[in-house]
Amino acid sequence: MSILRVLLPVVVLALVLVVPEVLHAQAAGAAPGRQMRHFWHVFIAYGIAWALVFGWGVAIARRIARVEERLKG
Amino acid sequence: MSLRTVRWAGVVLGFLGVALTILFHWQVFFWVPTEASMGIVQRIFYIHLPAAWVGFFAFGLVALCSAVYLWLGEEKLDHAARAAAEGGMIFTTIVLTSGPLWARLAWGTWWTWEPRLTLTLLLWFIYLGYFLVRSSTDNLDRGRKFAAVVGVVGALNIPLIHMSVYWFRSLHPQPVVARVDGPQLHPDMATTVFTALGAWTLVFLSLFLFRYAAARLEAYADRVEAARLDPSRSPTPEGAIVP
Repeated sequence: MSILRVLLPVVVLALVLVVPEVLHAQAAGAAPGRQMRHFWHVFIAYGIAWALVFGWGVAIARRIARVEERLKG
Repeated sequence: MSLRTVRWAGVVLGFLGVALTILFHWQVFFWVPTEASMGIVQRIFYIHLPAAWVGFFAFGLVALCSAVYLWLGEEKLDHAARAAAEGGMIFTTIVLTSGPLWARLAWGTWWTWEPRLTLTLLLWFIYLGYFLVRSSTDNLDRGRKFAAVVGVVGALNIPLIHMSVYWFRSLHPQPVVARVDGPQLHPDMATTVFTALGAWTLVFLSLFLFRYAAARLEAYADRVEAARLDPSRSPTPEGAIVP
């Protein structure tokens, strides 16, 4: 668990730093202002998607923990 | 199926889903070529289409479980339908948020009241109604039956959404993957979208199983509490899986 806590921020930081560079290289030729807007829309779309899926997972985990507490108590 | 089996299946599917998710994110951000006319924003496609597929699959599951629940009256089927409906709402919300973010740059507008978009929004509201109807009455069984009817009727909208781009003049493009003549995509794009489809199907199935297990445990906890108040009633041995 503690390894995950260290690794996760490192992976997230690496992705945040590397991904725009890769996408920028792939889309060379488009206007820079327009490209930035594309990045924002893509990241917001993926961010919302993962927030919703992760949020559902957390809600389920909390629900299971609550009901197990009820059964133990 | 015992709750222990359901949970283990959820864990296994979850691990596979996360592994495929990491792979599809690598494909989306590092591997797949950028689409020529729309540019980088087209990468929203790789979550938009799989989310739509998983949403429809989830609501199909709701309809199936609800129909059998209305027929047999088995409580577990209602738990499964409710778990699938939650997933369907999550994934349809992803479709309804990622679509406008893509459309703003591809079509120049966040939203337009064209058939496919309108019917998808209607689907979202129908299944919101599924939860509202369930809690609209104090009689638990009646609420479940009302919700099951909504669950079955709501799914009739899914084929309409799919066919709407053929039947009506629509701004939304026609399918590029689910076609009779095969996917009309660059092979790398098709590989990426199928990986994403597999990843999110597994993630959905994993969370669905955990949510279903939670609902069954809650029902068991209710029965245990009822038995404490009235010792003549004994709960079924579902709680055996609780550590």
